[in-house]
Amino acid sequence: MITLRGLTKRFGDKTAVDGLTLEVAAGKVTGFLGPNGAGKSTTMRMIVGLDRPTAGEALVGGRRYLGLPRPLREVGALLDAGFVHPGRPARAHLLAMARSNGIPRTRVDEVLGIVGLESVAGKRVGSFSLGMRQRLGIAGALVGDPEVLMFDEPVNGLDPDGVLWVRRLMRGLAAEGRTVFVSSHLMSEMQLTADRLVVLGRGRVLADAPIADVIARGSGDSVRVRSPRAAELAARLAAVGATVRRTTDEELQVTGLSVDRIGLMAHEISVPVLELSAVTASLEEAYMNLTGASVEYGTGTAEARR
Amino acid sequence: MTTSVEPPGVRIGHLPGTPSGGGLPGALAAEWTKLWSLRSTWWGLFGAGLLMGLVSMIMAEATVANNKDPGPEGPPGVVSVGDIATGAVETVQFVVLAIALLMVTGEYATGSIRATLQWVPPRGRMLWSKAAVAVAVVFPTAVLLTLIGSVVAWFWLDEWGRVDAGDLVHDALTIGLYLSLMSVLVMGVGAMLRSTAATLTTAFIFVLVLPITLVNTGSELLKDVADGLPSSAGRHMMNGDGPYPTVVALAILAAWTAAAAWGGITVLRRRDA
Repeated sequence: MITLRGLTKRFGDKTAVDGLTLEVAAGKVTGFLGPNGAGKSTTMRMIVGLDRPTAGEALVGGRRYLGLPRPLREVGALLDAGFVHPGRPARAHLLAMARSNGIPRTRVDEVLGIVGLESVAGKRVGSFSLGMRQRLGIAGALVGDPEVLMFDEPVNGLDPDGVLWVRRLMRGLAAEGRTVFVSSHLMSEMQLTADRLVVLGRGRVLADAPIADVIARGSGDSVRVRSPRAAELAARLAAVGATVRRTTDEELQVTGLSVDRIGLMAHEISVPVLELSAVTASLEEAYMNLTGASVEYGTGTAEARR
Repeated sequence: MTTSVEPPGVRIGHLPGTPSGGGLPGALAAEWTKLWSLRSTWWGLFGAGLLMGLVSMIMAEATVANNKDPGPEGPPGVVSVGDIATGAVETVQFVVLAIALLMVTGEYATGSIRATLQWVPPRGRMLWSKAAVAVAVVFPTAVLLTLIGSVVAWFWLDEWGRVDAGDLVHDALTIGLYLSLMSVLVMGVGAMLRSTAATLTTAFIFVLVLPITLVNTGSELLKDVADGLPSSAGRHMMNGDGPYPTVVALAILAAWTAAAAWGGITVLRRRDA
């Protein structure tokens, strides 16, 4: 379990992380989502003690990372696949890592096998592709058999096979009761992997809820109705408190009423209906709605959508 | 409708038994493994040995030439082979110091310092384990370099060379001490500056340029200041020619080293990695 209490990081007069209070529970995959510059990586760096918080604290299993006697046995983190010396062979990197925390060297070959790098273990990391470095970083996170795992953008540079593998890995880790905290900007990936979502914008939590709730709260499920007498129907639906948006001459987008109710009400006022379908919001839409106002380096498209 | 079957999760296996180990012994083992798994370490040591032989040869040849055709300072006469080795260390030291320094700044250059700090979060333990491993490599290396320099000098000096077992042991030990302490010193500075080039430049100025500049001013005060610098203290310790006893020379050098290490750890604790 990861506990953040009022975690704050300021760089000069810029606040990167602003009073983050959060619990990342065990046995689940918690997705950490947010636009670039939202403070995701800084938060993760503070959890493992690379950055000093300006205020507040980050605890892993109730303790500060800096106070853990064998941190790799408790927290496995892949923050950046580039945190490796390119001149060192992959196995030597993992071996040094294992030795630092009293992990037997047999475990090194075990994790090399798990991530599928055993055939290149003796090669220097500098010759690795980004995907291979990503796998090496994941092997490093697994080497200590930790209860808490953190991954910052783990599928970067992986091929579709690798992406699927990472998804299975995350699910498997959570199924074993471990805490899995994974950041990503790939919303579709989160929708498939995460149980819970923490959405960050400008260093603040915008949403912290089960993934279904975030989708529902972010944009809400709606119903699409097509009718030649759309205006008439819109007036009737609005009268009972539904939110109605006229998307084209014939088409309405309705929130706050079920498909059944809309169908019955159209029948009551004898308006013909050509199409009636439920529209489930995607995480992507929910995310855009949540973070639209808090994009650090926006191009204006997020704002334009509102 | 097709039913999608969730593939099984990836199994990552378990470590048996209760966790043990780690701590300072773990940090030392990790640094040892890291140092020897880089080619730059081997090349550096090989280069230091080669340069030592070369510089010793040049210095020995200069001695022979001066004896045959004395300059204004007169002929040097018969010299101890260890003196040649000690003189050659002035040049070769930068290769040895670079090996130690790269243990710190090489990790900053590649970003791997952030991995190291995740493995060994206490900043003091991290830097001391690096320093201890550096000393464990640098001291025997220094002894070996003294031997290489002495053997080369002995061959080249011929009749102008003198070999004395006691002197040789003294030279090997003082050169070992000097290079060990200087290694830790540059590692401390490296932890503060986080750059190989900046640290090597600083070391170069402090070790070679500044002492000579201060002495050349002719001012007695500045000469005393020069004698307080770590490199001058080291030189006096190795040559036994200082205005203070060898023990004081060692103490001055050790004090600089301790200050640099303290500075390095303090910066590591305060600044983000």
